[in-house]
Amino acid sequence: MESFKADVVIVGAGGAGLRAAIAVAEADPGLAIALVSKVYPMRSHTVAAEGGSAGVAQAHDSFEHHFNDTVSGGDWLCEQDVVEYFVAQCPQEMVQLEHWGCPWSRKPDGHVNVRAFGGMKIERTWFAADKTGFHMLHTLFQTSIKYPSIKRFDEHFCADLIVEDGRAQGVVVIGIASGEFMLIEAGAVVFATGGAGRVFRENTNGGIVTGDGMALAYRHGVPLRDMEFVQYHPTCMPGTGLLFTEACRGEGGFLLNKDGYRYLQDYGLGPAEPVPRNKAMELGPRDRLSQAFWHEQQKGRTIEGPHGSVVHLDLRHLGERKLRERLPQIYELAEEFLGVDPAKTPIPVRPAVHYTMGGILVDGSCAAPLPGLYAAGECSSVGIHGANRLGSNSLAELCVFGKVAGIEAARFARTVSPSAAATLQKQAQASEHRARAIVAKSDGTERIAHLRKEMAETMERGCGIYRLGDSMQATCDKLDELRQRYKNIGIEDKSSVWNSNWLMAIELGFQLDVAQAMAYSALNRKESRGAHQRLDGFEQRDDEHYLKHTLALFDGDGRPRIDYSPVRITKSRPAVRAYGAAGEQAEKEARHG
Amino acid sequence: MADKTITVEVLRYRPEQDPAPEFQRYQVPFSDDMSVLQALLYIKDELDETLSFRWSCRMAICGSCGMMINGDPKLSCKTFLRDIHPATVRVEALNHFPIERDLVVVMDDFIDKLERIQPYIIPAEPRSLDQGAYLQTPAQLDKYEQFSSCINCLLCYAACPQYGLNPTFIGPGALALLHRYNADSRDGASAQRMELVAAEEGVFNCTAVGYCSEVCPKHVDPANAVNQNKTTAAADYFARFLKPKGSGK
Amino acid sequence: MNKRRPYVRPMTGWWRKNPFFIEYMIHEGTALFVAAYALVLLAGLVCLAQGEAAWNGWLGALRHPLAILFHLVTLAMLSYHSWTWFKIMPKTMPPVVLGGRRLPAAAITGGGLAAVALASIAALGLVWGMTR
Ligand SMILES: Cc1cc2nc3c(=O)[nH]c(=O)nc-3n(C[C@H](O)[C@H](O)[C@H](O)COP(=O)(O)OP(=O)(O)OC[C@H]3O[C@@H](n4cnc5c(N)ncnc54)[C@H](O)[C@@H]3O)c2cc1C
Ligand code: SF4
Ligand code: FES
Repeated sequence: MESFKADVVIVGAGGAGLRAAIAVAEADPGLAIALVSKVYPMRSHTVAAEGGSAGVAQAHDSFEHHFNDTVSGGDWLCEQDVVEYFVAQCPQEMVQLEHWGCPWSRKPDGHVNVRAFGGMKIERTWFAADKTGFHMLHTLFQTSIKYPSIKRFDEHFCADLIVEDGRAQGVVVIGIASGEFMLIEAGAVVFATGGAGRVFRENTNGGIVTGDGMALAYRHGVPLRDMEFVQYHPTCMPGTGLLFTEACRGEGGFLLNKDGYRYLQDYGLGPAEPVPRNKAMELGPRDRLSQAFWHEQQKGRTIEGPHGSVVHLDLRHLGERKLRERLPQIYELAEEFLGVDPAKTPIPVRPAVHYTMGGILVDGSCAAPLPGLYAAGECSSVGIHGANRLGSNSLAELCVFGKVAGIEAARFARTVSPSAAATLQKQAQASEHRARAIVAKSDGTERIAHLRKEMAETMERGCGIYRLGDSMQATCDKLDELRQRYKNIGIEDKSSVWNSNWLMAIELGFQLDVAQAMAYSALNRKESRGAHQRLDGFEQRDDEHYLKHTLALFDGDGRPRIDYSPVRITKSRPAVRAYGAAGEQAEKEARHG
Repeated sequence: MADKTITVEVLRYRPEQDPAPEFQRYQVPFSDDMSVLQALLYIKDELDETLSFRWSCRMAICGSCGMMINGDPKLSCKTFLRDIHPATVRVEALNHFPIERDLVVVMDDFIDKLERIQPYIIPAEPRSLDQGAYLQTPAQLDKYEQFSSCINCLLCYAACPQYGLNPTFIGPGALALLHRYNADSRDGASAQRMELVAAEEGVFNCTAVGYCSEVCPKHVDPANAVNQNKTTAAADYFARFLKPKGSGK
Repeated sequence: MNKRRPYVRPMTGWWRKNPFFIEYMIHEGTALFVAAYALVLLAGLVCLAQGEAAWNGWLGALRHPLAILFHLVTLAMLSYHSWTWFKIMPKTMPPVVLGGRRLPAAAITGGGLAAVALASIAALGLVWGMTR
């Protein structure tokens, strides 16, 4: 098989992967970088992020505040030393993007503007209209073109990780256009493959968000951490799950039930003021808002639509001019996809799966327990999101930890020498053989689309906004069954050129493994925390038993093994997580007490 | 939910078996909120797994899903079946690009061009991170913001007969991006990029057909970028005779 | 072995395949009438230089029914040419900012067409005045 020798191979060319590639190129222009992506870089799902990216920007704000918002937002399941590092780096990374040309929205005097975001005490979300992720991604991609040492492998699908001599030494990729395999050898491997939201049915994610890197690391013995924490975004389009950014509420939008009532005030997020105050009402954190929706639905106070219950996102009072300026994309989405003019009519919305807080276990320097493997971005669990991510922390994470991963991987790559090429080749060939077996198999009877649908449905049922032991168990059982049935899939497409049928089958294999890690991690956490909320006798947070990270370990055909590891607490002791007036009260007491 | 059906004709081309592209018909059940992309996904899931096409975001921002729909270049994720029914939906790979397979085109040429326009800030006055962000007023931002909204969907290339006739032409999308950097107050490399603008493969290939701007799903108005640069390139050309030799940039 | 075999579609008859291109081709075609009329005027100028007889001959030729028909057709063609030309004009110029706001494309097209109309009326008035 053809091979390419790199010093560092980066899998994923979204925000995290591109930032990592640039970091390697800047750290040492002599290192050969291979940047692999199954889609052209600008198609990566970072492109869809709308609202903004966090970084302390105002004089009355501080790293301390950003730290506290993040840790309490994560229900104290964060690695606090990592969060400290993170908040301190964010502003610098945002400025770096500015120097690279990111068209941040500006104040009249030419300074970069910031907006309010859910769960953030002070406005610190940098934004480029409502296309922040798009602009960040294109800025990073176009900037990356400047560095000759970055060799891109666009539309190359990573099918396996090569582990030899106890460390990661490269990847096996499929050229999508030709269907041919290639071995990319490298001293260090960085995974930046994004999240796994598409294991659920209604979600805000793109078709490519299938947890590939997570599954590959996991299959090679790296634990997946905190996989039970899956974020539901409260304001999504019914049916498709497409997102209406939190910035809609940051700009002053209301959430109304069928009586036109701002129901969030009934769920400890009040008082309802005409302009939502930071960390209150519509600007509460996502987990709380999605949970409030669920309760309203139970009480019969939601509105019935063709795609299930909805509430109204009301932007009318903001006026057409402001909406066109600050939320142009949202305006178009509502008009074109729903036929709703948001300046005249409220937008129907419901929660959908949005973000995977958990991921590949890495330490603060983005290193996985497997030497030579690094991870950054949504596929990783570096420890800043805990049990619930705050909006706009993740785009910032891509930059801060993309850079760390790049620098650390470069450093590592310089210290090692590769194993014999022949051994690596042999592994790669075995891997090719396994992947080709899916196409070669002629007697399979299961259709991948149907398995995928069953998986998404059972995940929604068992691992939704609220969870019950029984239904989680049922989901675990169902996933065990689907993994067995997966062995019997049959695909129609037997060709080589652009065979997406085959790649989707491989992706489904990844998804099933990741889904299983999520469901078993959820089943085993017998408490409620952040995005993991139970209604079967474990409604409270239980710091005594569960102030710890879940680790899911791959066990071949069997169920994942579930283990736990301590949470690193430096300066914020777990306290009551309160928002709205109650939150302000609690904060006051904490300051005086 | 889906009580109606619509006929979808897809231009198929599988290089390993088809000598040339040919249409294939499918019947797809649909509801009013379904996009053409959703129809294709239905075909792939339920009717014919061998159909290949690019897609991801489903929300008109990743730029993957451009194709000819009933003769016009469009994003399939934001073209709705309700607007076509009861007529037949006819989808083909984007015009003016080689077909790799089915609805997938070979887009190496565009990526090549993107790499050639130096699509990054070459600062007029370099700044260190400690010095913080550049100042840029909303009016300065407004000069290039529209051109920075290009999602690289290639619809404008499929709309440009000059590109179809002469593929060396840099083309609307990449020229819009080139202009985006030239018009950015932080950048200082217009002179360098103007060489490409005025070159044989540059703006003078454009005969102001204007269809590119018409089909652009992001209101980038690439024709505007191209034609503004014709003026600039022409002015540069004449300015050369006026300036004494060896002076200035 | 690489199985790729990209298929390149021919460009023949491209301009017939889309109404937008047909309009573009007609627009380009009408430019011929613009050129033709410029020749007619040029001929007039030459005749004027040659003296009164030549000039009267030219005027006489213009009164021929065929010449009038030609004028009518040319008028139609020129109107179409200006209409389609002003339609793309906003795409060819830098944004016009008035009072901090961009002038919309429709205003530019409308302004251009209004200017054509005014100029034509003025020219007509002038000629009318001269010939009476
Ligand atoms: C609709 C939406 C809006 C959001 N808005 C915000 C926001 O306002 N603020 C915020 O902070 N966060 C937001 N987020 C979250 C944030 O955008 C994502 O977490 C983040 O962009 C993920 O970036 P990434 O670089 O980790 O992965 P991605 O951008 O998803 O990139 C993954 C990359 O990996 C590649 N890849 C994956 N698998 C393979 C494989 N097998 N082989 C080869 N390549 C592979 C892909 O091709 C791609 O290049 C939003 C998310 C969504 C879905
Ligand atoms: S200019 Fe418009 S049509 Fe052309 S590639 Fe960019 S977004 Fe697409
Ligand atoms: S799927 Fe992303 S633009 Fe259509």
